[in-house]
Amino acid sequence: MTRTLESGAPSPGSPAAMIGERPDHRGSPIPTFGMIAARFKELRKRRGLMVALVLVTIGIPTVFLVVRLILHAVAPNSYGPAGGYSVYTGLTSGVLYTFGFIVAATLGCTAGSIDFTEGMFRHLVVTGRSRLALYLARIPAGLAIIVSLVAIGFTVVCAVCVFAAPKALNYDGVQVPVGLSQRGLDSWASSHADEVICNFGFRIGPSGPSAAFASVIQNVPCNNGPGGRHVKAFGPPGAQGSGASVRPTNTQVSAVAVTIANLDYSDYSRQFTYPSDSLMVKTGLWIELEAVIGFIVGLGLGSLIGQRTVGVILMIVLEVILTPILSRARIPHLSNLQRAVVGLATAHLAPSGLPVLGGGGGGPGGGSGNPGLLPESTTVAVLVIIAWLVGWSILGAWRMMTRDA
Amino acid sequence: MGMNTTTFHAGSDQRANDAQWAVETHGLTKKFGPNIAVNDVELLVPRGCAFGYLGPNGAGKTTLIRVLLGLTHADSGTMSLLGYPVPRHRDRALARIGAIVDEPRFHGHLTGRENLELLATAREDAARGRIGPSLERVGLSGRANDRVAKYSMGMRQRLGVAACLIGDPQLLILDEPMNGLDPAGIHEMRDMIVSLVAEGRTVMLSSHLLDEVQRTCDAVAIVDRGKVIRQGPISELLAAASFAVEIECSEPEQARSLLQALAIGGEVEANRSGLAISLPAGTDRDILPEIARVLVEGGISLYRLQENRASLESWFLQVTSRLGASE
Repeated sequence: MTRTLESGAPSPGSPAAMIGERPDHRGSPIPTFGMIAARFKELRKRRGLMVALVLVTIGIPTVFLVVRLILHAVAPNSYGPAGGYSVYTGLTSGVLYTFGFIVAATLGCTAGSIDFTEGMFRHLVVTGRSRLALYLARIPAGLAIIVSLVAIGFTVVCAVCVFAAPKALNYDGVQVPVGLSQRGLDSWASSHADEVICNFGFRIGPSGPSAAFASVIQNVPCNNGPGGRHVKAFGPPGAQGSGASVRPTNTQVSAVAVTIANLDYSDYSRQFTYPSDSLMVKTGLWIELEAVIGFIVGLGLGSLIGQRTVGVILMIVLEVILTPILSRARIPHLSNLQRAVVGLATAHLAPSGLPVLGGGGGGPGGGSGNPGLLPESTTVAVLVIIAWLVGWSILGAWRMMTRDA
Repeated sequence: MGMNTTTFHAGSDQRANDAQWAVETHGLTKKFGPNIAVNDVELLVPRGCAFGYLGPNGAGKTTLIRVLLGLTHADSGTMSLLGYPVPRHRDRALARIGAIVDEPRFHGHLTGRENLELLATAREDAARGRIGPSLERVGLSGRANDRVAKYSMGMRQRLGVAACLIGDPQLLILDEPMNGLDPAGIHEMRDMIVSLVAEGRTVMLSSHLLDEVQRTCDAVAIVDRGKVIRQGPISELLAAASFAVEIECSEPEQARSLLQALAIGGEVEANRSGLAISLPAGTDRDILPEIARVLVEGGISLYRLQENRASLESWFLQVTSRLGASE
């Protein structure tokens, strides 16, 4: 223990002169790449935490999809394809959105508090490095982990949902070709008139159908029996059943089927066997945004309270309990406060065509079109998210800068 | 400095030279609610020496170190480290300081080397290159790639010293560095501190192991209830302490009468074999030949005269208990 350092024995002298020999910028609030890389390594080497993150972001979707792939391969008649649009929406807006936020928050709370609880914080402070830089180094380090994990999980979901998607679209129980134009759907409906009339739902205005239309509807024999149709509104009382009980001609049946197809086209055009490229890109960005919010807020909260466990619990409560309630409840005089909930804001930014489970959200037509959600403009939603990111970062950094080490 | 403190060789007028002192505090105070942990501390730690900061448990040793390093804020007073006033230039000062505060704790899931890498990134670029030599110096090279969770207390203590050394510090502040070390480890730590001082560094250490401090340090400060009550070179402090003289002679009662007439200022007790004399602090050592002369001229046969100087430990107990009694 008596060997000298290779750097040699510095001779006493003017401290200013000595420090001047090797200037550095440790007072700068900007973290160095080395600090970020070291913090990334420190987080990545937390085996238990990493296993949990991988399991939730990649493991759950992967296991779910693999089981579906196997079941479909073994018994294709009993089990549908593993992928497809509906599976995609369920896994993204359900699993990755909600659990991605929670695991990101867990990572954030860990990054924000663990130096303090493990006694490493004082070692870092004694280096003279700016405490703000120590805080800021955690942001890119943690985001590099959580963003990449969520991206991997999302890629798995997209890949399976696209490549293992059903070959045809199941629309109201009828196998319909995908991506038909309106004319194409008319043509297809004309040649599958009985299936269309008996299975497609449709909505007719208050004036009701014409007598000829009603007659055809009533007299096309359906295997699911009278009333098997999904007529959503059928004009004034008495309009139904007014036609004669005579089998209509093929031309009449085709005409009615085409009419129904036209009525349903706008709904049909939003049905996919697998998600579009555009939807996948938007969904990916949206899920990553949610993960980033979870991490940044968790980091600030962890730093603020100096504890991981309590921080994680609070974040779970926010995501699983408070956000769903405050996103949908109509509380008099508190609606503006409710709009400050970050989960409501992100739900409003959900891509069009992606229903949001749990936390509220889009449904067909996108987040802001969901009547269940408390209304909020996109601008307000963006401002709320920015406020949460900036506010919690300031709180966390302030606590780290003022905390007794 | 306060009236109970012993000055260093340099007079107080030389304090203006900031670079002279590795640590300099004036009126430093830190309170926790009604409790004063650091009480108007005037401390001067000279450069290039091993300096012991001694005090009983709860005396405020660690709190002072934490205040110096910016781990907690001071309520009042001024301080400078290596000539840099802090907190204004704390980053510049800390660039040349290595410190262990309390029990050295690290990320248990990382290896010793990885922990040092994490700390090196927060220091200057050259710090990374000093990791290997630092580990070698503290004898941890062979275990550097083991996870710290598997380290013993002594190994973590060594890793803490290595963490100090990667900054190539001019000043090392070590809080109880002998804690958790076995006798061989204490011996190695003592040698290392001596070698660090020999390289021109300043080592300030707090400890309750007074014997170790006496062997290792050149100067000390005694702190009690947050206040520095003595400071200076150990040799000067002990020279100024009270001491005892044992005398083996014939006719102890007659000898006692002779010495009482001499008015030496201490207590003289006769026993079967001779005398036991307690001399107060500040007594000149020249009193010893005077005692011998008086006894011999008085017809007493003098067989043995032995001066018993106080150890640092007994002196520490004297000054701390005296303060307590006076309060």
